[in-house]
Amino acid sequence: MKIYIKFLTLFTLVFLTACEDVIDVDVPTAQTRLVIEASIDWEKGTPGNAQSITLSTTTPFFDTLTETQVTTATVKVTNTNTAEEFVFANQNDGTYSTTTFVPVIDDTYELEVVYNNEVYTATETLMSVVDISSLTQSVDGGFDDELLELNVYFNDPVGVDNYYLFSFFEDGDLFADLEDLSDKFLDGNEIHNFYEKDDDDDGDEEAFVAGDTVEIKLYGISEAYYNYMRLLIEQYYSGGNPFSSTAAQLRGNCINETDEDNYPYGYFRATEVVKTSYTFE
Amino acid sequence: MKHIFLMFSLCFCSILMAQNSYSIRGTIKDVSNGETLLGATVFLKGTSSGAVTNEYGFYSLSATEGSYTIIVSYLGYETFTKELQLTSDQTLNFEMTEASNQLNEVVILAQESEQVSIKKPQMSVSKLNTSTIKQMPAVLGEVDVIKSIQMLPGVTNNGEGSSGFNVRGGAADQNLVLLDEAIIYNTSHFFGFFSVFNADAIKDIKLYKGDVPAKFGGRVSSVLDVRQKDGNSKQFSASGGVGLISSRLTLEAPLFKEKGSFLIAGRTSYAHLFMKGIEDLKDDKVSFYDLNLKTNYEINKDNRIYLSGYFGRDVFNLNKIIKNSYGNATANLRWNHVFNDKLFSNLSLIYSKYDYQIELDFIELDWVADIKNYNLKYDLKYYLNDKVDLDFGISGISYNLNPGEITPTSETSPVNYLKLDEKRAFEGGIYASAEHKITDKLTAQYGIRYSMFSRLGGQNMSNYLNDQPVVYNNQLKIYERGEAISETEYSKGESIKTFDNFEPRLGLSYQLNDKASVKASYTKSTQYLHLLSNTASVTPLDVWTPSGQYVKPQRATQYAVGYYKNFKNNMFNLEVETYFKTVDNRIDYIDGSDLIGNNTIETEILNGEARAYGLEVLLKKNKGKFTGWFAYTLSKSEQRTPGGSAGGPGINNGDWYNTAYDRTHDFSITGSYKLNDKWRFSSNLVFQTGRPVTYPNGQYTYEGLSVATYSNRNEDRLAAYHRLDISATYVPNHKPENRWKGEWVFGIYNVYNRKNAASVSFNQNSDTGINEATRISIFGLIPSVAYNFKF
Repeated sequence: MKIYIKFLTLFTLVFLTACEDVIDVDVPTAQTRLVIEASIDWEKGTPGNAQSITLSTTTPFFDTLTETQVTTATVKVTNTNTAEEFVFANQNDGTYSTTTFVPVIDDTYELEVVYNNEVYTATETLMSVVDISSLTQSVDGGFDDELLELNVYFNDPVGVDNYYLFSFFEDGDLFADLEDLSDKFLDGNEIHNFYEKDDDDDGDEEAFVAGDTVEIKLYGISEAYYNYMRLLIEQYYSGGNPFSSTAAQLRGNCINETDEDNYPYGYFRATEVVKTSYTFE
Repeated sequence: MKHIFLMFSLCFCSILMAQNSYSIRGTIKDVSNGETLLGATVFLKGTSSGAVTNEYGFYSLSATEGSYTIIVSYLGYETFTKELQLTSDQTLNFEMTEASNQLNEVVILAQESEQVSIKKPQMSVSKLNTSTIKQMPAVLGEVDVIKSIQMLPGVTNNGEGSSGFNVRGGAADQNLVLLDEAIIYNTSHFFGFFSVFNADAIKDIKLYKGDVPAKFGGRVSSVLDVRQKDGNSKQFSASGGVGLISSRLTLEAPLFKEKGSFLIAGRTSYAHLFMKGIEDLKDDKVSFYDLNLKTNYEINKDNRIYLSGYFGRDVFNLNKIIKNSYGNATANLRWNHVFNDKLFSNLSLIYSKYDYQIELDFIELDWVADIKNYNLKYDLKYYLNDKVDLDFGISGISYNLNPGEITPTSETSPVNYLKLDEKRAFEGGIYASAEHKITDKLTAQYGIRYSMFSRLGGQNMSNYLNDQPVVYNNQLKIYERGEAISETEYSKGESIKTFDNFEPRLGLSYQLNDKASVKASYTKSTQYLHLLSNTASVTPLDVWTPSGQYVKPQRATQYAVGYYKNFKNNMFNLEVETYFKTVDNRIDYIDGSDLIGNNTIETEILNGEARAYGLEVLLKKNKGKFTGWFAYTLSKSEQRTPGGSAGGPGINNGDWYNTAYDRTHDFSITGSYKLNDKWRFSSNLVFQTGRPVTYPNGQYTYEGLSVATYSNRNEDRLAAYHRLDISATYVPNHKPENRWKGEWVFGIYNVYNRKNAASVSFNQNSDTGINEATRISIFGLIPSVAYNFKF
């Protein structure tokens, strides 16, 4: 739950930031596993024929050098409603892609990856998403009353459980900020989310100024994927935080059919996504 | 049932033996302020007749007709002797004088009530007097009861800034914390930095780590029994202090010509006053306060009433973002009645409440939750004869839990109103126990408690497919919420689920000689109320939940044996205890559990078991210029959570894993050295094995982020925790004739500025993209100064 994470972050910041330091820690290293980043994302208003899947392997936690691309696998996705097969061609850089994919909302797809003579499978249903109704900027909203934030508004469909994934990416950053959201407390309402950056003491982060551009993605996701991402996001942003829940193994929906114990990480998702961008004035 | 028969048969034997004897009873008080003295001993010289005063300063003993010398003693006080011709039942009240004022040479005496009683079968109990606690160095000079008991063997907590404490490898919610008999649900201020007990208002603190007397029930790990002062019944007096964080003031005075007295104590932090002056912080507020009240009135020599109360609150406002407040409130009305020379009774009506409120401005919601209970209990003590004392009584507690109500705070709020189901329950208990001198050397304490718990209706309960609230997904190898297929409606009068349990308690003490004894105990206890928390630290947001259809009561069994020795004329005590404890139905949370705003907690938990064992050594020096103690604990605390009815292997493949409270070594030294009448120096030294945590064991890239993979739950550990604190107390020129007594306390917490990790978090640096480990350490070197006064 997004609210909860924000609360925890605040809670922790207020009390503890003054005494933070980066230290060397000996951490254990587990066996290497396959990582499947199979994200079928159909951008609203496009044909969605071009899709790409990435395969890699895990590395020791503090490792920065190891090459992790997996270039010896075969990948295909089948629409189980129509039995149509899409073969993803090996690009030899760890990605596998197709230009003939046919996305259909609410159809169920099956992924099959063959790697090292082991077969990995997963199934997922393509979830729809509503449009973003408006994007605005403000100063007096958000956490801080004096900093610029971006506001995203959309209307949650009433009477159905909806799950969302947000991605905010400011041009020039190394990676996006992810947020998960369920309509558990918000069903049928106009939902408002905001994205604000703070001036960090150590210069990791700077507040928005006029001219900054943010790319926004809003995904409609399945409940199972929401549960996966909720945990992934919580662990990513606050792993080890004394007020967050105990970190745990994160198992996705991909199964090793050949050897159960050699399970992979990652997820096979199928989503509809709204992409847009905003430049602060 | 065997135990009951054993107990009664022993009692009856004793009754037959007791003939032609008279009783002596009375109350023992401090002459200067009229406070009743708990744990003072009264005995007849040259006989085995003796008694110890109870929580209300009352004693009763009996002996055959004859002439005796009665000796009343309480260490730190002058021993009182009186010749006595016993020809009828008598009432003898004593007022004792504090010894230290009269002595010319510097002799410091630790209170006798803190010493081991060699003869008594009661074991695994730790007592601390507020005067001892006040001498110990504390963070920012804030005297802290909860932090002080952590210096004792077998007691730890989850690091600075986490509330509560852990006893013998148990969780914080397994401690029954009582302030004048009322349950305190959250013992902390400032999210755990300070505790709710104002030392000025407190008379006596007892911590039962095991061998819990049959009169207590409802928690499986320990009982912390805190008693407030009654108030000075001789004259008006005031005490207080000014510190860096908070200030305290306590007023006491007699009422109705010394027939009664009252105490009112207040404490408040004042950081928020300074914050107002700082532009950036002027809209923020971080504060706490608490108020203790007590009054009593002696109707006649056989009847006395007490009224006590506590109210505490924390407020935490961050401008425009969050407003949070929480606190405990308790009230207790008691009636002491002495039926006759041998039968003492106390009837209590108690109310306790804990609530919290959070207002999140940025999403316009207001969240309130609370737990409250009413408790009616009647405890009796029967001084049967010089061999047997009987305790018996009955208690009923009615609980009402409101786990959460979410209200939008504006028209435009995206949040919908939601109220989680209110929960109701009733807990009943009936007990009897006897302390029995079987021979001159062997004393036993045996008792039994029968407890029952009923989860009451007034809510709907979900029924799950195949009766499984949690299901193992065998394909994905994860635990998932079960599918609710229907709901059963329970009306208010209806019982959803009822439990009952027998809880036998047995303690034995065998005196090896005048100075040494061995003791053994067996305790069975049950806990029906659980604090749900899947975080490493207890937070005010955590939800209490009653046992019911899906959450079973925790059942603990503890065995302990110990060796106790006083040597060098009671200058030193040695206590060595070893224990083994098991807890059935200890719950743990499935990976990725979500407890916030969850109406069906049963879908997030698995039932398991816990076990803990250890060895505790406590060596105390009670007399001389140097007093203090050395404590060492070697222990293990583990739990196991198999899949059970949910299927699957369970947590960590169903193997035993460390609980978050496991500390292999825990070592502490607390010392106080009195140089002269003006200066006293104190010090704490603590060393503990690091807390079990879960560390990453790999990484991979997903959505452009470096995502960590984690090893098994609690498989790794933080670095060891250690620190040294010192303090100096300076008493300016004090003339005994002056009523005003003041002292300055200068302290340094964590002298060598050890950065003890409260937690280590693993993150990806957003500038470099490289993973790093960030340590959060809370208290570095912290100097403090405080001024305390009394008049």
